[in-house]
Parts: sequence; C-alpha cells; structure tokens
Amino acid sequence: MGDEQQAVQGEGGIKRSSRTRTRKKKKNQIPLGIMALVFIVAVGIILAWTVGGNVALFWMLGSSFGFILQRSRFCFTASMRDPYLTGSTSLTKAVLLAFAVTTIGFAAIKYGAFIKGLPIPGQSYVVPISLATVVGSFMFGIGMVIAGGCASGTLMRVGEGFGMQMLSLFFFIVGSLLGAAHFGWWKLNFIVRGPRIFLPDVFGWVGAVVLQLLTIALLWIAADKWAKRKSSSSSH
Amino acid sequence: MKILDKIKTDPYYKAWLKDAWPYVTGAILLSVFQIVSLASAGTPWGVSGTLADWGAWLYQLVGGSVDKWYYFASDAAQAKLAAGPLKDPGTFRNLGLIAGALFAALIASGFKFKKIKTWRQVTAAVLGGLLMGYGARIAFGCNIGALFSGIASLSLSGWVYAVFLFLGAIVGSKLLVKYFM
Amino acid sequence: MSKEVELDCLGEACPVPLIKAEKALEGMDVGDVLICQIDHSCAMKNVPEWAREQGHNVEVEEVDDGEWEVIIEKVK
Repeated sequence: MGDEQQAVQGEGGIKRSSRTRTRKKKKNQIPLGIMALVFIVAVGIILAWTVGGNVALFWMLGSSFGFILQRSRFCFTASMRDPYLTGSTSLTKAVLLAFAVTTIGFAAIKYGAFIKGLPIPGQSYVVPISLATVVGSFMFGIGMVIAGGCASGTLMRVGEGFGMQMLSLFFFIVGSLLGAAHFGWWKLNFIVRGPRIFLPDVFGWVGAVVLQLLTIALLWIAADKWAKRKSSSSSH
Repeated sequence: MKILDKIKTDPYYKAWLKDAWPYVTGAILLSVFQIVSLASAGTPWGVSGTLADWGAWLYQLVGGSVDKWYYFASDAAQAKLAAGPLKDPGTFRNLGLIAGALFAALIASGFKFKKIKTWRQVTAAVLGGLLMGYGARIAFGCNIGALFSGIASLSLSGWVYAVFLFLGAIVGSKLLVKYFM
Repeated sequence: MSKEVELDCLGEACPVPLIKAEKALEGMDVGDVLICQIDHSCAMKNVPEWAREQGHNVEVEEVDDGEWEVIIEKVK
C-alpha cells in the first residue's frame, strides 16, 4: 500500500492520480473456459446418443448463439432502446444488417422448398397480426428495457453470472405462464380475426424480398442519419 | 503456467476470444446460424416459447395443471409436455445459449458473479420479467422468435411487432430513467 | 488541480452505467477525470464507444476477471 502515489500516465495519456489500490491478482479463467467447451461438446455427444440427433443439434445451435451473442455483445434490447435513450444506432444498424442477411437466406430456403412442391419450412413463424401483437410487443418493449435484456439477452447474461437476470428469467417464466393462461381470451377476441400475412403471397417472391431489403436499407440510412444528428447536436 | 501466459498475449486469442467483436461480426454470424437453423432443423431460432413450457413444467411440479388451458390444448403441446424437458429440443437450445455465453465469458477470463445490489434492481427484474413473459406469449414470441425470425420469414407480423416494440422501448426508457436509476 | 470522480456501476446492466456516466460528466469540468467501475461486458463496450463519440479521451483498464474501469477525461 502507498507505493504508487505519483500520477501515472496511461497509454492513452490520461493522467490520473492513482490512489492506493490493492488489486486482486487476476485468476486466469481460460482453463475453466476449456472445461466449459469440453462440457458443451460432451453434452452434445451424450444427447445425440441418448435422446437423438435433433436435440443435440438444438443444443449446439443454442451454444453457438450464446457464444456469438456474448462475444459480440449483441443486444436486441439496445438496438431498440439506444436510438431514443443515447442516440447511438450502431446496434440498430447491426440488427438491420442481420435482418437483411437472414431475409435472403430464409427466402432462398423457403423458395427452394416451394418450387419443389414441398412444404415451406418455418411457416409457423408467420403469425396472425392483431391487437394482441400490438399490446404484447409494446409490453415486451417496456419490460426488456426495465429488466436490462430481452429473452436471449437475459439467458446470455445468466451465463455471464448476472444475479438480476436470473431473477428476471424466473419472472419471465412466470409471466409466460400467465400469458399462456390468458391466451384463450386473446385468441377468441382478437387473434382469431388477425390475418397471417406472408409477404410473398402479396408481392410475389421477388417483390417481397426486394421490398423488404429496400425497407431495411431505408431504415439503415435513417438510423445512420439519426446518430449523426444526435451526436452533433449534443456537442454544441 | 507458461502456456497460459502465452495464450493470453497471443494476438489471435486477443482478437477472437478476448476482445469484443464488432457488432457487424455478431450480426453476420447470428444470421448464418439462423439460416443453419432453418436449413437443418427446419425451424428458425426462438427462445420464449420454451420459457412458457418451462413455466408449465414448474407449475406441474407444484401441483398445478395446464391441461385445460387453451394454449396447451393441442395434441402436439400435450405430447411435448408429457415427454418432459429432457426430450425437448427448445429446452436444450435455451440451456445451450446459457452454456455458450458462459464458455465465451470464461475463455475471455471475463466471468464474474454479479449479485443483486438493490431493491430497485429486484423490482425492475420482477416487473420487466413479467411484462416480457406475458407480452411474448400473446404476441407469439420475443425479439428472436417474433421479431428476428418473423422478419426473416417474410412475415408482416415481424414488422408490426418491431413498431410497437420500439414504442414500448421508449416508454420503458422513460420509466427506467425515472424510477429504476 | 483537476478532479477525479469514481462512479460505482458494479452489478448494473445496460443502460444504467452509460446514463450514470452521462449524468456524472455533466456536473464535471473540462479536464476532470471520471472513473466508471463496470462489471457488465456490454457496458464495457458501449460506455467507451459513447464517450469517444462525445469527443472525450477514453481508456479501459481490466482490473479483475470480468471487471473493468473505464477512464474518461472530459474534454469539452
């Protein structure tokens, strides 16, 4: 203690009077990380043997999503929240890019099945639009900002060791159960009259893809301009 | 250990496993695995539907029954609930997400258990969790299933979801700054 | 002599660290240094990014496993 009283200059050149600070010696977590990787692979193999390849595939897909989310600090919540709250749109633009890439990939897979006369995969994700969509997504928007993470973000942060997100995961589950309990009422009154709109049915395959990519591009430009306007207005 | 010190200073370790990737890298890789999901598993990525199933299993554990609920009434839903979580692909996708994030944090030497510090955090977590859970159920999903996978699936519902999610996020931001800071 | 302010954001998830930092910087003078203690990996990325965009000098120091100090020198 008391061995570092003089002002130190960091690499970026910020002078700070480094107070006496007893630093814990950093433990290296890399060995634990390697153990985690072995665990993930082992569970995948065991699942493939015991339950089946499909469950093992889902496990590996989930692990990949979790790894990518954590490594890139990807956050769907921030992409919707930051434009208003901080004026930053870097995540918004990244999410829009993801929309564009998946639009092309999904359209290719779906069209491939369609021209062969096979059932189009993933059509259960084309869901009815009704007041339930409006109310539900609005509630979700409020909840994710308050809780500091949406569903994927909460799971990712549970993996990072966030106590608060473990609690919000539990109440996410409770809320889901309540939502499921009331689902019949929403279905009967609103969802049942809501149209399922698969854009290629309206605009044709090419039209739907072009229109959607164009929309994404315009939103990307808007997000870019928004961030520039915000940062220039705050610096004066 | 010598080898660990060597890994720690390795430039490829730093770039790939230690430092945060650019958001664009994340966007591209998530998209690739979304496409892999649809191509191999036949279904896009979803998260919150499984959380409702977890709720049903927990509810059964404390003696409740969801058999009469419209949401779980279909034969497919009943069969899934009867088979249990150990046979459920969605359960393992969510658990895998946690494991993958844990691995990513550990390999970067960045894992830390973060305790809840204040009652404000407890309130935020409870309220936020409930709102998200309920909202996701009636709107057919969360940011992943209803938004990301919805838009990727060329469904108009994804765009409607996006608009009201954005409005909700603005209201949430105001509430956060006012009550939860 | 310029001030040095420490800001405890440990255990806080986004966007709390960033808003706290923004508020703290508002009440500081040019040349003062703000040290945000952060243990949220996302905030470790977005707080420095935001501060740099605002034109401040920024440094990030890893103080422990999963714990960082974001050091912001107010420039304007």
